[in-house]
Parts: sequence; structure tokens; C-alpha cells
Amino acid sequence: MNKELISTAVARRLNEVRERVNRFDPEDFGDEGFFLTSVKELLLAHPDRISQLTPFSPPAEWIAADTDCLTSLRVLSLHGTRTMPRAPHPSPDDFLNQLKVKSAAREPVFNLLTERYAWPLNFSFAADDEVREYLLMRLMTADRARIESNSAGAVNAEDLLLKLNLISVHASSATDLRFLDALNYYYELLPVNWHPESQHAWLLISWFALYARALNSRV
Amino acid sequence: MRIGILANSLPAALKIYDEASGLPGVEVFVLLAPLDSDGGWSEHVARFVAKSGRRKSLRLIVKRAVVRFRKPLQDPDTISRLQELRLDVGLHKSGSIYSSGTIECFRLGILNAHIGLLPKYRGRSVMEWSLVQGDPTGISVFFVDAGIDTGERMVLSETVDVSHCQTIAEAKQYLFDQDARVYRRAIEKLQQNEKPFQRNDGSGKRYYVMSKLFQDVAQKNLAIGNRQSAI
Repeated sequence: MNKELISTAVARRLNEVRERVNRFDPEDFGDEGFFLTSVKELLLAHPDRISQLTPFSPPAEWIAADTDCLTSLRVLSLHGTRTMPRAPHPSPDDFLNQLKVKSAAREPVFNLLTERYAWPLNFSFAADDEVREYLLMRLMTADRARIESNSAGAVNAEDLLLKLNLISVHASSATDLRFLDALNYYYELLPVNWHPESQHAWLLISWFALYARALNSRV
Repeated sequence: MRIGILANSLPAALKIYDEASGLPGVEVFVLLAPLDSDGGWSEHVARFVAKSGRRKSLRLIVKRAVVRFRKPLQDPDTISRLQELRLDVGLHKSGSIYSSGTIECFRLGILNAHIGLLPKYRGRSVMEWSLVQGDPTGISVFFVDAGIDTGERMVLSETVDVSHCQTIAEAKQYLFDQDARVYRRAIEKLQQNEKPFQRNDGSGKRYYVMSKLFQDVAQKNLAIGNRQSAI
């Protein structure tokens, strides 16, 4: 693997992500405008702080969540991870089946995913490998095809953004470049001026913050 | 051995036909079936007329080496006609994904020439992914199943150097253009021993279409290989 070429490419993309975040207007994000301001501050105000965006480590044990998935994503975006107690690993098999059934029926998977990944780093837990593969596959096949043959509006924005957030969390700790490149692909695919029709439109911002962190881990 | 080349147009199948029919003890047919999305035979004929190789195509039609189906491959009528042909091996050169019903019409199965080294590289953009990850590029010929490059019976897998190519598109085309040659080699191996299979054990990963960012990395890696091969 030519690490230098990859490093140069992701450094270029990191700058593009920062520029794109800089163009967002806090007013477009309503009550979550402050979150955008904080992310801008993190990515733009102090360039040296980017180097402090340390990659995540995959948890060796399933982690107990002390809050919900969306709050955790905001915290991870801005402040990174912290030490938390372990918890029993819920079997991924039933969950994966539910995910497949809902995906096949084109039903939203947002609640299913937020419930299991209340602590989003659990998405990187080794035993959830099949779930990650399935989500990556859906993102890069069915979702991508629907967006490419129609528009970003053709998929459920909340589902899409949550998947991108979780994939970003994993890409920050994974050596497997497919996850990072799925983010690269979506960065190129989604229109620059896309504003998701969602009550959680701020997930677009947290995605960019987490994507920046994943890119930084490869610079 | 009775071979059927599964194609959507005659010109696409000609090179494979020429290679395969040069083998002793082999009878080759070109099986033309429309895709689901095809505009039907009028479009097909237009494509035939528009493309090169018309004289060769006419020769095959006269030799009755061309079997035309009015309906897509998964259609029961097409499957019934395929069964009557009693073919041993199918060679994939169509835009179709095959149903198990279609695959079972061929005694040994349908071969696919995949432009990646299995089992490591399944799926899309695998040549580019090999370049990005500093691995050799190559081709694998395996019997398809209903999954994406998951067929377990692999007849051959060989590295193919693309470092002389200037662009990713050129390198990819170079690999695609090897299909007739590798199909011929695969048939030869099957003639020698019908079960010479290496196992495509599913240990690799499924790759997906690559971003422009990483395509650029692949292109630069190719250029480095190009310079090194020139020295």
C-alpha cells in the first residue's frame, strides 16, 4: 500500500471538508446552529487542533451507554471518546435479521440503529462485523443506486445520515479502507448544497466532523 | 464439450467464440438473450448492424452456432430451451445476473472471468482497489453462484501485469480484453480434469465502487508502476 499517496489524498480531502463545513450557515440548522458553530471552531478556528483529532479505538468489550445515540454522536464529534463501563454484548443475529427485513421492505432503520448503538463506538465492536458489512453493502449498493438514479431525496435522510455517522466512527479506527472510501464516495455524491429534510439535519454536521476525524487518522 | 457463450450481442461474443472453437473436442454456441431492460430484438439488431464484425457474425448464424432467445435468461421458456441444448459450460459475456434456474441448465455451471484475484478481491472496482492497496492485479475464472463473486469453484486465478497501461480505464480494458484467452485456458483445464478447482473460500472482502479521490490514488500508483516497468 502506498501510504504516502493515500496520506496526500486524504489531507486534500480533509481541507475540502473543512471548507465545506465553513460554508454552512448556523441559521439553516435552527436550534442546532450552536452545534455547527462548535464544529466549525473545532475544524477551522484552530488548525492545530485538527491534529488533536485522535482516531477512535474499537472497543475490546461492549460498552454500556449512559445516554442516547444522538447525544453520543454530538459528544464524539466534538470531544472524542471517554472511558465507560462494559456491558453484556447483545447478540447481533436477531438485530441483523431485523435490519435485513426492514431494509428489504424499505422501512426506516433509524430507531433500530440508534437503540443498538446508543454508544456509537460499539458499532466497531469486533463481533458486530456482519452488521457493519451489511450496512456498508446497503450504503454502497441500494442507497447509492437510488440516489444516483434519482436524487438525495430518494432515500430516507435520517437513515442515510445515521449510517454515514456510524461508518465514520468505524472508519476512524479501522484499517479497512473500504469504510473510509464509502465516506469519500458519499462526500462526492451528495450535492454541495444538500440540506436534509429531517428533524435531525445536524447529523450532516456530525457526519462531517467524524469524517474529518477519520481522514485525519490517515494523514 | 458443449460450450454456450451467454451474450447480449453477437459482436461481444465473437472473440470468445474464436478462441473456444479453436479447441479440439469443443462445440461452441453463442446464446443471445435480451436483458430485462432491452428494447427488444429491434434494438438488438440495430446494435448488431452498428457494430463491427458483421461478416463474422453472419458466418456464425449460417453455421447455426447462434441461438437466439426472445425472452431474458431467467424466463421459463428460455430455461426450457437452454435445457434442450444440453450444454456443459456457460461463458459469461452478458449483462445478466443469473438465477439458479439458469445456472443449472449447464452441467458444470457458468464461468465468469472476474478482473480481480479471488478470494481476496470480490465485487466492484477490484483492479483499482488492488492498485491502491499495493497488491498484484489479475483475473480469476470461477463458476458463478447466486452471490457476488462467491462461487466456490475457481478454475484459475492468475496475476496480469497492467503497469504498461497509461490510465485506469486502459488498464481495466486490458484486463477485460483477456477474457477470451482466460476462458480458453479454463476450458483446457476442465478438459484435462473436470474438477481442477481451487477454492474461492469467501475469505476476502466485497469491494464497492471507488471514490474519485481513491481512483486518483490508484491512477498515481499505476503511473509509478508504469515508470518502474519502463526502467
